[in-house]
Amino acid sequence: MTIALEPAVHGDKVSLLRVLGPAHVWALGVGIVLVGEFTGWNFAADKGGALAALIVCWVVGLLYTSVAMIDSEVTSTVAAAGGQYAQAKHIVGPLMAFNVALFLVFAYTMLEVSDAILLGDTIVAKAGVEGLNHNAFIAATIVTLAWLNYRGVLMTLNVNFVITAVAYVSIVILFFSVSPWTQGAVLKLNELVTPGNALPYGWIGVIAAFQFGIWYYLGIEGTTQAAEEVRSPARSLPYGTMAGMITLLIAAAMTWYVCASMMPWEYLGTTYYPLWDAAKLTGSPLLENLLFIATLLAALASANGCINDAARAWFSLGRDRYLPSWFAAVHPKYRTPYRSILFLLPIALAFAFIADLNQAITFSILSGVLQYTFMSINIMMFRKKWPLGSIRRGYTHPFHPLPAIVLFCLCVVTFFAIFLGFGSQLIAMVAFYFLISLWFHFYRYKFVRRGAQFTMPWPKPQGY
Amino acid sequence: MWTVLSYASWGISIVLALWMLYDWFKIDTTFSEEVLTSSREGELEAVSEKHRI
Amino acid sequence: MSRYTPPEQSKAGQVFDIAVVVVAIFVALWLPLKLGLAGAAKSIDALDAKTWEALGQNPTMASIWEKLGYTPETAHDIIQNRFHYFIDWPTLIIMAAVLIGYFIFLFRASDREYRDVINEKFDDK
Repeated sequence: MTIALEPAVHGDKVSLLRVLGPAHVWALGVGIVLVGEFTGWNFAADKGGALAALIVCWVVGLLYTSVAMIDSEVTSTVAAAGGQYAQAKHIVGPLMAFNVALFLVFAYTMLEVSDAILLGDTIVAKAGVEGLNHNAFIAATIVTLAWLNYRGVLMTLNVNFVITAVAYVSIVILFFSVSPWTQGAVLKLNELVTPGNALPYGWIGVIAAFQFGIWYYLGIEGTTQAAEEVRSPARSLPYGTMAGMITLLIAAAMTWYVCASMMPWEYLGTTYYPLWDAAKLTGSPLLENLLFIATLLAALASANGCINDAARAWFSLGRDRYLPSWFAAVHPKYRTPYRSILFLLPIALAFAFIADLNQAITFSILSGVLQYTFMSINIMMFRKKWPLGSIRRGYTHPFHPLPAIVLFCLCVVTFFAIFLGFGSQLIAMVAFYFLISLWFHFYRYKFVRRGAQFTMPWPKPQGY
Repeated sequence: MWTVLSYASWGISIVLALWMLYDWFKIDTTFSEEVLTSSREGELEAVSEKHRI
Repeated sequence: MSRYTPPEQSKAGQVFDIAVVVVAIFVALWLPLKLGLAGAAKSIDALDAKTWEALGQNPTMASIWEKLGYTPETAHDIIQNRFHYFIDWPTLIIMAAVLIGYFIFLFRASDREYRDVINEKFDDK
């Protein structure tokens, strides 16, 4: 599939290019998330034991299924770059939109930082060479992927599709090569997870594990960022997102089963490479190398998708003048938000050099959960302001308002989990969002056009 | 080998970063700001997605 | 309702706004790291007897630890490094208040801005 990159200034306007299909949406969503199976989810075991990691895998899976359903409905209707940002702008209001865009940019940039650190550390661990520093690999990852993003969205997501698929297949291969149908040969689940150690901290450990349970799926909602570049958003976005969610639920279950059956939870909870370690423990050099490469690919795919998404969100902020309109530039040849990509590049690099993996992950999770809280309220308002039938929806999610309520409750639990681990950081983050909101509301908003922000061809919302 | 790889990584980073800076400069000086920032939200929908209830 | 025409922002103003945002991002993300606020309360419950049994590891677990290159001595700090969960009520209440206050402010201020947007958008026609 190739698209000629005509130096396209048709007339005197440039815009993003509509070239993506559902497979790209899948690659964007799963690509960002899959790295979570290779590192991150296992910290949930540290927080509450192996069984807690499984429980949160399911319960947080439910949270994200709600996210995917809600998101599919809203975004198949509000199809614009910026995803949840454009949703918030049309449904809740400008200040909310500004905050949501910041959640997005933070969540993705910090996720990108975590990916780059993971990739650097994995290579250093593999090399085992004295004095080898991970900075070179971090820099190469971030800069190369930024370059790829700069050069065009189609190539970026084609690459993502391939590397995500390879990483995913490697999990499946690992799963089937440890004979999952028999216990005792390679897998020793009942000896490693015993009634005595399944929940070492009791139920509070399960709650605490929510924080990293998020990591099984964090980023699946990023599919919506592609809305302006998908050929048929009303169909492709729900389809790609749901397919992605199913893929991830399967991967998460397989990953837990293999890892918990091969490592004591104390080790599982603290290693940075649960799947790679599992492959090592099988004793097969082939598997070990496969999972080493898959870890790198998953990290690359994730960072790649994150750059894509963060840049789209930042770009949208510029386009509405929430931030200087300078960021809203589209590259006339590659049709990408190139200034946003370049602007976020040094920020990601700086944090990759100074932060550590655990902290970067926590920043990302925090912004993610703030965003999910917003989504649960957003869908309620959406259904109220534009009831079913008043506008054309690409997809209508079932059981409303149950998913929204489930999502909201699980967000509250996750906030409590974050409090157990990173309470003061949460307060610091919210204080930041609060201050920057004041700045926006009382100063920055004066540069924003009012009516022009509302771009959807919808009737007037009910109650206004 | 790994040390060489690490130097190569720095090399790649620098080359690509410089290329992007060069391209950025070139684009910004070739095209006017009005053209570059002419993208509008929702404009594509008007053409590609027929909005019917 | 009359149309609101925003002022054009000068170049210097744009650069300044970008700088404000960048500084804010760095302060928000970096300060907690610097102040050591990040990270949960984890501490090592030291044991005198450093054997696999004392560490609560059965023979299967012990064999895996050994396969991973650990001895009871080196594994001790990993296994005994435990969380000590406790609910610090004042912090929890502050956190809840900050979060709820933040969201209330967000929705209220957004709604005020939103009404302007809707008025201008739909009264024009």
